[in-house]
Amino acid sequence: MGTEGKEELIPRAAAAAGFETTISRRKFLILTACAVNGLAALSIRGAWGADAPVIIIENAKGLILADPTRCVGCRRCELACTEFNDGRSQPSLARIKVDRNINFGPGGLTSPVMGGAWGNGVFIQDTCKQCPHPVPCETACPEGAIKADPVTGARVVDAVVCVGCRLCRKACPWDMISFDEESQKATKCFLCHGSPKCVEACPSGAIAYVPWLDLTREVPPRVSVLTVVPAEKAQSCLECHISK
Amino acid sequence: MSKVNGGFAGKILRVDLSTGAIRCEDTVEKYGELLGGTGIGYQVLWDEVPPGTGALEPGNKIVFATGVLAGTGVPCNGRTAITTLFPTCWPRPLVGSGHMGGRFAAQLKYAGYDGIIIEGRADRPVWISIRDARVEIRDARHLWGSGIRRATLEISREMGNDSVVAAIGQAGENLVPMSVVMNSVSHSAGGIGAVMGSKNLKAIGVQGSGGVRIAGDKAEWERLIKFHLSILGGNNQHVVPSSPHPQSEYYNPGSRWVGMPGKRWGAADPPLEINGGLYDLNRIAFRSNSGAFFLGDGAWKYTVRGNGCTACPIRCHTILKVPAVSAKYGIREVAQNTCAGMVFGRSFFKNLPGGPQGETAIEACMVGMHLADDLGVWCNYGQLQRDLLKLYYEGTLKTKIGAEEYASISWDKYESGDPAFLLDILPRVAMRKGELGHALGLGTGGLLARWSIPEETWGKDRATNYWKFGHPKHHANEDDGQCGAIISTQYNRDPQCHSHTNFVRNGLPLAVQKKLAAEIWGSPDAVDAPGNYTPMNIHKAMRAKWSLVRKELHDSLGLCNWMGPWVASPLKERGYSGDDSLESKFFSLATGRQTSREELDLIGEKIFVLHRALTIRDMGDKEMRARHDLIPEWVYNDPAGTPVFTKGTIRMDREDMVRAMEMFYGVMGWDTGSGAPTAQAYARLGLRDVSRELESRNLVPEKK
Repeated sequence: MGTEGKEELIPRAAAAAGFETTISRRKFLILTACAVNGLAALSIRGAWGADAPVIIIENAKGLILADPTRCVGCRRCELACTEFNDGRSQPSLARIKVDRNINFGPGGLTSPVMGGAWGNGVFIQDTCKQCPHPVPCETACPEGAIKADPVTGARVVDAVVCVGCRLCRKACPWDMISFDEESQKATKCFLCHGSPKCVEACPSGAIAYVPWLDLTREVPPRVSVLTVVPAEKAQSCLECHISK
Repeated sequence: MSKVNGGFAGKILRVDLSTGAIRCEDTVEKYGELLGGTGIGYQVLWDEVPPGTGALEPGNKIVFATGVLAGTGVPCNGRTAITTLFPTCWPRPLVGSGHMGGRFAAQLKYAGYDGIIIEGRADRPVWISIRDARVEIRDARHLWGSGIRRATLEISREMGNDSVVAAIGQAGENLVPMSVVMNSVSHSAGGIGAVMGSKNLKAIGVQGSGGVRIAGDKAEWERLIKFHLSILGGNNQHVVPSSPHPQSEYYNPGSRWVGMPGKRWGAADPPLEINGGLYDLNRIAFRSNSGAFFLGDGAWKYTVRGNGCTACPIRCHTILKVPAVSAKYGIREVAQNTCAGMVFGRSFFKNLPGGPQGETAIEACMVGMHLADDLGVWCNYGQLQRDLLKLYYEGTLKTKIGAEEYASISWDKYESGDPAFLLDILPRVAMRKGELGHALGLGTGGLLARWSIPEETWGKDRATNYWKFGHPKHHANEDDGQCGAIISTQYNRDPQCHSHTNFVRNGLPLAVQKKLAAEIWGSPDAVDAPGNYTPMNIHKAMRAKWSLVRKELHDSLGLCNWMGPWVASPLKERGYSGDDSLESKFFSLATGRQTSREELDLIGEKIFVLHRALTIRDMGDKEMRARHDLIPEWVYNDPAGTPVFTKGTIRMDREDMVRAMEMFYGVMGWDTGSGAPTAQAYARLGLRDVSRELESRNLVPEKK
């Protein structure tokens, strides 16, 4: 991907950000301005180099979509995710996260409206948005360990490349990156190579594997993120986002 | 036990509240032969709690223990067995266990523990915080006097939103024997509250970030889990739906499989129509609706969703939202529970406007859940409510409490079926207020003794459901003839066994049940239709043994005996058979220790016999047949005088029950004269040490 010119990158980036029609470079930049403000503000022009990596990756083809009205809080999705993939029953490792919302809902005890079993009886499933460009976890990774799966487009952690720095965890606004303390590697939803175990395991049909849609615009962030962009990647951002 | 590679978390936590000492023990090394759950509980009581210890004395211990399969994806796990000397067991406390579901068991495993042994007594109110390896005894003085809800929320603020808290309410604090410990809103274990209260222990909060290792091949594990899901029915493993459906050959109105396409969660937002096929694995969670099963179709419109234990697709704790109760009674409009917990409030009333499934009945249930699950009052399977009904309507109560107290109680509301009565009566019990509150909180045995009422008065009245030792029947002869009656004699509280009833009430036609019975227990004669019994035979005794063994196995593996075993299925293509070896297959894969069905059943039997030995030791009496395995008089009578072994009566025959007990002792390998295990029976199960200890106390029957 690294050899393409920046003019060719724009339509590709637009598609990766969820825009389906051809748009102008200017419009694209306006639309994504908010997302990249943090990057531009870093003022790291000095770090530019000729071989900087391009951080625009192919959009995912699908994602896991949750229906909270159906969720019964049984955690079979979390368990299917880790048992069938990792051979361990370990929800802290799961790439779908329900348990943290079961007691009081996503807002916890500080929320004015208490959700969950102790509140309004609604359970919310947290799923990976398979973010469009700029992909926060992928952008944050200093090793380039997070890539698009060639088949599903899922953003996946290459465990061979991952060094366990956990910067991706800090970058995800929805707190969807898990960390395996045993292997010291990050892990995230990889859509089970196109046949998600959680979807198959759900006893109430509360999650579905659907064509990709941009949930980053629909679901409010769960945590505030630490925007750390490796210098060489920031350069890549500026290739498109700042006029020379 | 030989080395195992998975299943167990690996450690048992031991917390001495007197000294503040916190230690860990190796589960497999010390308790592996007894699996977990009640197995560990009985062993700890046998080793460490001397006979004659009082239930509320510091010398009593509480063993919270789960099992190998808890915290995994095995359907219907999630159980924690809590074993202690039971304060409601009368006339003396004996070993008993309460069982709670919810999210506690899984969380405890993820924190790295298979169980917690609580000993001693703190000098002030405390709670225990468990966050993985970090375990602390914390001050609970600010929580003392608060209900379970407030205690849980305050502890969650300290620990984090994802913690699971098992807490007692005011009833437990006030040492009311009829009290519970509760986790995850509605998952309680009866009889435990006061024992925790006596130790000044308000709650245990748990957070775990670890996992449970599955030793076997993960693909094989996945296949077995999917197979298990395919043979699941509805709640209590009822394998046919409650009403006709084109996909099902059979239906049975008594089935708890009430949720199916066409029904609707009316209080979901937006309301949710159940769709899909009857057997879709992605629709299993809709099969159970305790609201609709117990309160009628009117409860569908109040149903928000099903809830339940970690990993269980059968959601038996139904969340109901009834907006009217908020203004009427000043309580939350959302509540959840199952079975006896759900109908707690309704069960107080002889009459309710609109009948037992009307709107007032539903409101009574909402008020009951709101109060009982916060105050932490236990109903002892409805015995609390039945006792009050009998005492009041027979006029006894008026003679036992002072006129002033009597006049202060809103009996007009009681008689008219006004749920507001509960706002008066339940705090009395939890706070030990007045003579009535105090007496009701003791449990039936304590109440009868306090008021000098002969136990036979209860034992001959079928309406009380009373069995023995202060406790009621639980799926006895009304469900399963001699088999159910035998099972109800074996424990020191109600038996908490569902292995037998989950089969006879599974909804299949008798002919199909008999075909399955022949395969499992060697003869079609092992089962009768409920209420249409035949004389005792050896196959029924074998089934009683099997039921008890599987109950203890489930309680020691973290599985739910309210759902298992899974020997019948909804699958016509399998001839409706399930799998009698499921437990051992899961155990083998989880631990990596290849164990056959027979081998695992032998461990279940060992655990059951250890309970028997503990009971014999603490009673100081080996004459179990005469003084422990008692059957109340009402079992032998029929209000209409219908003869035994006639369709329509649950009446048992006295001579036949003598034969039934003898056959049961026979298949257990026990002495038929005394009903006590013989030295050989202990030895066969690897309990020689237990046998020697009992022999030294002259509590093992002589060889004949």
